[in-house]
Amino acid sequence: MPIEQPTAKKMPVNKMPIAEALRTVQRPTFLGITFDDAMHYFFRGNATVSILVLFLIVIFLFKEGGGFFSQNVQNLEIYRKAGLEYVDIVRTRVDNHRTLGRFLGELRTKQLNLLHGDESALAGYDAAVERFSVTIDEYQGFVSEYTEVATGIKEKFKIGLDMEVAKQNFQREGKFEESGKIVIPEIDFATETQIFRDSVPQIKVIDEKFHTEVNASLESFPAMPSVELQPQLEKFKELVKLHQEDVRTMEKSLTEWNWQKPIPWYETFTSFIFGRNWLTASFWQDWYGIIPLFVGSLIIAILSIAIAVPFAIGAAIYVNQVATRHEQNLIKPYIEFVSAVPSVVWGFFGIAVVGQLIRTVSELGVVSWVPFFPIAERLNIATASCLLAIMAIPTIFSLAEDAIQNVPNAYTESSLALGATKFQTIWIIMIPSALSGIVSAIILGLGRVIGETMVVLLCSGGRIQIPDFSKGLGIFFQPVHTMTGIIAQEMGEVANGAIHYRALFMVGIVLFFISLLLNYAAQQVVKRYKISIG
Amino acid sequence: MEHAFSNRPTKAKTTQNIAFWIMRSMTYTIVILATLIFGTIFIKGGSTVFQTSFPFVNTTFLFSKPETLHVVTSDGNKLQMGDKEWRAYSEKNPEAVIEDHKTYVYSAGGIFPCIVGTVLLVLGSMTIALTLGVMSAIYLSEYSKHGLFIEWVRISIANLAGVPSIVFGLFGYGIFVIFFGWNVSLLSGWFTLAFMVLPVIITSSEEAMRAVPKGFREGSLALGATKWQTITGNVLPYAIPGILTSSVLSISRVAGETAPIMFTAAYVVRDELPWEVSKLSDFFLQGVQALPYHIYVVSSKIPQNEYTARVQWGGAFVFLVVVLAIAMTSVVMRSKMRQKYRW
Repeated sequence: MPIEQPTAKKMPVNKMPIAEALRTVQRPTFLGITFDDAMHYFFRGNATVSILVLFLIVIFLFKEGGGFFSQNVQNLEIYRKAGLEYVDIVRTRVDNHRTLGRFLGELRTKQLNLLHGDESALAGYDAAVERFSVTIDEYQGFVSEYTEVATGIKEKFKIGLDMEVAKQNFQREGKFEESGKIVIPEIDFATETQIFRDSVPQIKVIDEKFHTEVNASLESFPAMPSVELQPQLEKFKELVKLHQEDVRTMEKSLTEWNWQKPIPWYETFTSFIFGRNWLTASFWQDWYGIIPLFVGSLIIAILSIAIAVPFAIGAAIYVNQVATRHEQNLIKPYIEFVSAVPSVVWGFFGIAVVGQLIRTVSELGVVSWVPFFPIAERLNIATASCLLAIMAIPTIFSLAEDAIQNVPNAYTESSLALGATKFQTIWIIMIPSALSGIVSAIILGLGRVIGETMVVLLCSGGRIQIPDFSKGLGIFFQPVHTMTGIIAQEMGEVANGAIHYRALFMVGIVLFFISLLLNYAAQQVVKRYKISIG
Repeated sequence: MEHAFSNRPTKAKTTQNIAFWIMRSMTYTIVILATLIFGTIFIKGGSTVFQTSFPFVNTTFLFSKPETLHVVTSDGNKLQMGDKEWRAYSEKNPEAVIEDHKTYVYSAGGIFPCIVGTVLLVLGSMTIALTLGVMSAIYLSEYSKHGLFIEWVRISIANLAGVPSIVFGLFGYGIFVIFFGWNVSLLSGWFTLAFMVLPVIITSSEEAMRAVPKGFREGSLALGATKWQTITGNVLPYAIPGILTSSVLSISRVAGETAPIMFTAAYVVRDELPWEVSKLSDFFLQGVQALPYHIYVVSSKIPQNEYTARVQWGGAFVFLVVVLAIAMTSVVMRSKMRQKYRW
């Protein structure tokens, strides 16, 4: 029979019937709470800490990063208002033209190889190339002239912003006299940007001239020295036609350009999530697009998991099923031991040894047939991935080994009893049964690799660009930058509250949600595809 | 000796042999690679840390502050000196013809402040994490009943364990450095690291407490002890070895992480040692040098050459040895525990 505390509280013990008094336990209370209750609540409070921390992480990431979007709106607005957008439209033409010029350069090298280095035979070609490349000169002059104008307007706007901050600071300190003295100059964007609208006729004249001159220069290209190269020249001519087409559409967008055109509300989000440029601290325009960083993180993670998985799973099966007891007792702790090695040591090892090793191997004569060898950069996706693979192996190994261990003995025993060999049992019975565990091990390994900072910061090369997918497998030997790396690298250099600072927190938020997603996926895989034991 | 039951090769057996050999080679590839990497670091770093003459350990490297290395050709002699030595030398020999003067930051001297900083960071954060973690574990294993609250706690723990360490760094920067105004300090680093290892400690402590047989609790309760008396008298004493064992492994994680302390606790260089402070509160609110961050700095900010290799490999060696020794302790303790406690 349970002790009835309430009766004990109502009636003093010495007045109770003896039997009841013996069953009663009286404990000192404070505000009606016994010591045991107090401890209960105390421990419960401690257990709340992990929920609290998770909430605080979310709150503080959003507190610091949330302001990014409104600041980015301003960033994009001034890009349009000050005419930077206008100049960039024209600049695109110059850039496209340069790309075409590089195509011609490559074509020249091919011809030269064919002609065994006879430069004189290329005189006609060179003249045509020269004629083609000068057609852009007037645009170039236009761009450099108007770049100054646009930067000037932007600078004025920035000074205005700084003054406003100073004014607010004065007001906060109660110095109204000083704050009154600061007069923020109104920027009349309509007059300031008039110069751009006035330049449209000039552009049209240049365009006309450009088209005729380009057409003339195309005519002047001599025939290629060999039939195989002729299609390449034809391809070039087609590309030029596309380029001219572009110029025409751009002419339209230049005519329609208007500094007042509002920025759509979703632009600030899309320019972050789908933005292909991460360009900061530039004199022209800052872009905060996460795509190059995301792609960098993803490629490194996928390559390292691809390297790690066969080794980790193979080792897990071997250690659990094939190895002798002695091997098991040595190899298992040893591989787990590897997981204790700090990531910065791996990163250092990558810089000091692995990068150089990969480059030296790529310079060997034996592998010279590989199209992208020898590699240019010693720190690249492959270097980082190799090291991350070594880091991920212990994680995947331990979890996969657990999953294999958990396969019921009855399954394997019945398979063996039916005459299957050990390998057949492993292959047909054990792996499918443990598959959910193995897959979740791989997902958790992926999570660990994506969130890893030091190795990618030190070994991935640190160039912010989307890797060139046209290079085939050569893509793995290009330097990239990653989400974790960019935070670690740039966080120390930014001012609190600046848009760049908030952008880094946004990257942190993306990382946080990726990790939550992978965690959830791993749990769901185990839950849904678990084979019931019975 | 052919007979019907002899061990004839069949297709299935051959496949099995090939498959097993592939898996065996994979396993040993991992083992050999890891050994090669450890070996390289031990050999290259060992030459910095150990020496052939008494006391066989390079005490300057272990017990002095980092300095700038000067490499000069003076009167035709090639010399390498630390900063202090160099100043004394140039005062003493003002007329010496100095040629080819090159400097490398942090490449002379030692790593003492970094070792001290790492020890302080580990001590503080483990104290916080163990206190919070063990208390939470007590609740989870002794008090909790199935319900929404417990569900939430478990979900949080599982998700916290997967959050990347750099995100913890950002979080610590946002809350401790900026919001609480502790700046880059030991205190900020302690809490950031403590929250990072919290899920590991909770999970392992809970496991250790659940391993204590139910009979211990029931016996104690049956004799009239309260829940509190049962926990402190009959559960915790038997669980503590297990809790400590698993916690040792999380020490190696705390000591090894760089990303969370980059913006919360670590300084690139600092002239004073942590205890050289004017008042007590300064001790907690000061940034420190830490070994992992120092390795990051010397491997990324200075060039790789014969003069800098000494401090780079030496630092990595010391760090690796410390962390692996901690991990090794945990492994040994665990196997000892398994033999000692059987019920």
